[in-house]
Amino acid sequence: MSISRRRFLGWLGAAGVGTTLGRSAHAAGNTLFTGYPDSLGVLFDVTRCIGCRKCEEACNKVNELPAPSKPFSELAVMERRRRTDAKTYTVVNRHENVPGAKGPLYRKIQCNHCLEPACASACFVRAFAKNSNGAVTYDESVCVGCRYCMIACPFEIPAYEYDKAFTPRIMKCTFCHPRLIKGQLPGCVEICPAEALTFGKRRNLLKIARERIGLFPDRYIDHIYGETEMGGTAWLTISGVPFRDLGMREDLGTTSAPELTKGALSVVPVVASMWPVLLTGVYAISQRRDKIAREEQAAAVATAVAKAQSEAKAKLTEAMAKAEKDKKAAIDKEVKKALEEAARAKAQESAAATAAAPEKKPS
Amino acid sequence: MMKERSLFRRTGPVLTLASLMLALAIMSVQGAAPSAPPADDASKPRADIIRIDGLKQFGKLERPAVVYLHEKHTQALSKKNKDCATCHLPDKKYMSTKFKRLKDSSKKEVMDIYHDNCTPCHRETAAAGEKSGPVVCTGCHQEREVASSWKEIGLDKSLHSRHVKAQENKCEACHHQFDPVAKKLVYVKGKEDNCRYCHLSQTVDNVISLRLTAHTQCIDCHRKRLAENKDAGPAFCGGCHDAGLQAKIQKLKDIPRLMRGQPDVTIIQAVKSGGEKVEPFARTSVVPFNHIGHETYSSSCRSCHHSSMDACGKCHTLQGSKEGKFVKLQTAMHRVGAQASCMGCHEGFMADKRCAGCHATMPRRDPPDLAGCVSCHMPKPAAATPQTEPKVMAAMLLEARKPVTATYSDEDIPETVEIKALSKQFESAKMPHRKIVHTLVKNIKESKLAGAFHREPGTVCQGCHHNSPVAKKPPACASCHGQPFDGRNLFRPGLQAAYHLQCMECHKDMGIEKPVATNCTGCHKEKL
Repeated sequence: MSISRRRFLGWLGAAGVGTTLGRSAHAAGNTLFTGYPDSLGVLFDVTRCIGCRKCEEACNKVNELPAPSKPFSELAVMERRRRTDAKTYTVVNRHENVPGAKGPLYRKIQCNHCLEPACASACFVRAFAKNSNGAVTYDESVCVGCRYCMIACPFEIPAYEYDKAFTPRIMKCTFCHPRLIKGQLPGCVEICPAEALTFGKRRNLLKIARERIGLFPDRYIDHIYGETEMGGTAWLTISGVPFRDLGMREDLGTTSAPELTKGALSVVPVVASMWPVLLTGVYAISQRRDKIAREEQAAAVATAVAKAQSEAKAKLTEAMAKAEKDKKAAIDKEVKKALEEAARAKAQESAAATAAAPEKKPS
Repeated sequence: MMKERSLFRRTGPVLTLASLMLALAIMSVQGAAPSAPPADDASKPRADIIRIDGLKQFGKLERPAVVYLHEKHTQALSKKNKDCATCHLPDKKYMSTKFKRLKDSSKKEVMDIYHDNCTPCHRETAAAGEKSGPVVCTGCHQEREVASSWKEIGLDKSLHSRHVKAQENKCEACHHQFDPVAKKLVYVKGKEDNCRYCHLSQTVDNVISLRLTAHTQCIDCHRKRLAENKDAGPAFCGGCHDAGLQAKIQKLKDIPRLMRGQPDVTIIQAVKSGGEKVEPFARTSVVPFNHIGHETYSSSCRSCHHSSMDACGKCHTLQGSKEGKFVKLQTAMHRVGAQASCMGCHEGFMADKRCAGCHATMPRRDPPDLAGCVSCHMPKPAAATPQTEPKVMAAMLLEARKPVTATYSDEDIPETVEIKALSKQFESAKMPHRKIVHTLVKNIKESKLAGAFHREPGTVCQGCHHNSPVAKKPPACASCHGQPFDGRNLFRPGLQAAYHLQCMECHKDMGIEKPVATNCTGCHKEKL
């Protein structure tokens, strides 16, 4: 048995497509993804935060963000429930009268830098990247401004520069990625006077958090927010009061966004790659069917015509034959009659001349 | 004019005296428990709410349980000169607490007792033109919420002492024991126990529940004394159970010591599981216990003697026993969070603002910091011999560790400490070091408990100078704390955070409001 070059390449192609499809369908399946090894993170300890807004100020400075309308020394702004926006990567909110707390509590909000970011999984142009150091960064050069990331983020972090008509960007905390690369601390961590923000390898931060909870069981809720939420985040939070009382979502589950959507999204490449092939095939098949139909029709018509023609011919022949026969019979009859007439005229001489020019009769 | 003024001058002290006497009279009236319920007020929370749902024991209730207000009924009856016997039948010794019956025989019978007695009385009262209760089913059987002011009551040392006085030291008036041979209740002098040891939350066999005990024995006595016009406790629900009235119950200032053969001082006796006592002298260290001292701090014997008046070691043996629910002596004495354990109770005091500044930031380690053991566990005294009695040995040891909060002399305590290790944006901070030490010591000077644990002059210093040996000149903070986020010292804050956390958390826990944590210039001046 010999294999043609074309057939061999066809098999190879089919095998290749098969493996690709198989892998994408089982991405992030039955495995525990714990992030990049030795990736960095920050542990926010609510019990230590004094609400000085120094982190907000440092963030604004190192990221060269526009100056706010009120100075950072104005602590009254914390009374309003604020969130991150296109000009603010991080905010600290004050929570008064939280049950079980002795005084006001403060909660810092910024991008949590998910281990498997929802924003990145929602972005179809890959504008977001999860870096090996833990930072989730954004590339404005490829962004098309669909803002799917804003909808995807369970923490409502990415913001959009609505006020820029031509070059709007998604704005969010970068974990001070450029500073991390240079070996510097994130702006907020560096300024924090009470180490309410502890910086380090995420796995070490988990150890620190557990140590604090273990040594002060009355002071902390026995949970590290971000250890498992949405599949885990680089930024972690520990608190003395339930996280919901600080406006943090407790309904997020432990599954990362990509894993949640993989079922539906894994079909996307199949559909995207197979659709043209499928449609071309459908087109080709329908084309071929049309062609066959046309041919068949033509053949049928030809046969029918031929048949009709032959039938007509036969009829004509028959009719001609009959006419001939009739004619002959008529002639014969007339001849006979003439002969009889002639015989009779012989007797009567005058009748013989008219019998020589017989009249044509219709058949 | 002059005459008038001098008159006023003379009447002044008289008036003052009179008003003082009046005030005293008012106070004494308020101090005594009222013997009759106050006027009925439907809007106020009540302590007399009874849910009549006894039929539950015969199956599911067919109608909502009746919310019954006891005092409304006693007041209505007393107006007609009717007493408790109108509704409650006499039982063997005391009046039955059940309505018109001694026991719950059957569903039908109990139901009929209520229907045949409540409704006719309501009807008759209404017929006489008086305010009365409902006569239709849903009038009583309806879901209704009545605000409650009910609060559990216990016999604390003050109240017990007042009862002792009223009963003229006749303990047998209340205390009894069951003699299994004679099969009756007897009084044994020196064996008085807390009611709750036997009378549990539910009736078990012949031992009636605590609730039933109190509502028969207490009320019976109160009523008898009221009838004799003697000083008596309340005989209506709110008198004991209304939170407001309860707070008004007179508290004795000087409570005579309750004597039941307990030692003044003793050695905590360890017992092996077989019951064999561990000879205190045979051990290298012993725990002397100031029993008389602890008596004044607890509200009742039950604070420590939670299940019996026996010594702790009887049930809580070294290895644990069934009687002690297998809680070992070690655990019974050291468990944090258990009110009856030594450390559990002591730790409760640490929440006090005067203590919390240092103690709230101290981690809870298990086993606890071994340096603290010697505060209780003492080496046996040199003068002791095998013949020395435990209480003598205990007295010797306690004499040697009289509670006193000590500290170094002023010349050894720096007056100010200038923190200049970090001064980037701000000038160095000048900490009033000696003032802080003095304040901390002054705060706890009066406390004997604090004195027992702060006898070493360096102990108070450890509130800030932690994790290093006690010393007159402890290491500087910067000896251990340096750059933040050191991967080799994960749990150690950096120097700046160490300072800030130490100062801010202590201020917060002690309720010191100034300077505010966010006010940087409150501690250090801004660099110009």
